[in-house]
Amino acid sequence: MMILTNAFAALSDDTRFAVVERLMKEGELPAGKLLEGVELSAPAMSRHLKVLRKAGLINQRVAGTQRLYSVRPEAMKAIVDWTMDHRMFWEASLDRLEAHLALEKEPEE
Amino acid sequence: MTDIRIEREFSVSAERLFAAVTQRAEAVLWWGPEGFKVTNDQLNMTTTGPWFVHMISPEGKNYKVSGHVTHVDAPRSIGFTWAWHDTETDKRGEESHVTMSVIETMTGARLIIEHRDLGDNETGAGHERGWASTLASLAKFLNQNDLSKEKI
Repeated sequence: MMILTNAFAALSDDTRFAVVERLMKEGELPAGKLLEGVELSAPAMSRHLKVLRKAGLINQRVAGTQRLYSVRPEAMKAIVDWTMDHRMFWEASLDRLEAHLALEKEPEE
Repeated sequence: MTDIRIEREFSVSAERLFAAVTQRAEAVLWWGPEGFKVTNDQLNMTTTGPWFVHMISPEGKNYKVSGHVTHVDAPRSIGFTWAWHDTETDKRGEESHVTMSVIETMTGARLIIEHRDLGDNETGAGHERGWASTLASLAKFLNQNDLSKEKI
């Protein structure tokens, strides 16, 4: 169970916000990859990842010597459910319009 | 100010798409994210005049939007004003403008939604810059993970 205020508090930091955005776009990544292109020491990144993990926003998985991080879909859904953004509204509505229009078409095969 | 532009391709004719977008019987079926229900509406967008929609989310939260259809150019485009109502006071918020355009393509038709003149307070959590794009990637992310909708 994620507490939204904790999630937003964790996301109010630019670095952590960027990490979550990157994980959403690129999927699961090792900590080393997250350090690429950012001016941040490994321990600092590790602290940020810990905050995100404690806030319930990301998952950590150990694979061999690597720690892999990914966004928790449930957390993202909780945020989406809480807010109502116009883009989200239209994109989600269009998903339904697409499904509606697909219903009346013959199956492809 | 935030301007939103969304394009979506459909494999139906422009006329068919325009009808699904503007006619009330169909509009009530797709307005709002998955799980939302239209509880009261004036969603006939085929003529100019006032429109509104009341929706309820799967969590039981009520949403109300209203405005005025300002132009109808069948089967090409419609324009309308838009403002959320405050859930508690029913006060109508800042007004924005939506244009929906249908363009015929090689494979069917494209719907373009442009949502303009959105104040900074219009995006719910959106006091922070970048929320709109973040939520767009959120929506994509959720679609990929099948959490926000059932695949048909």
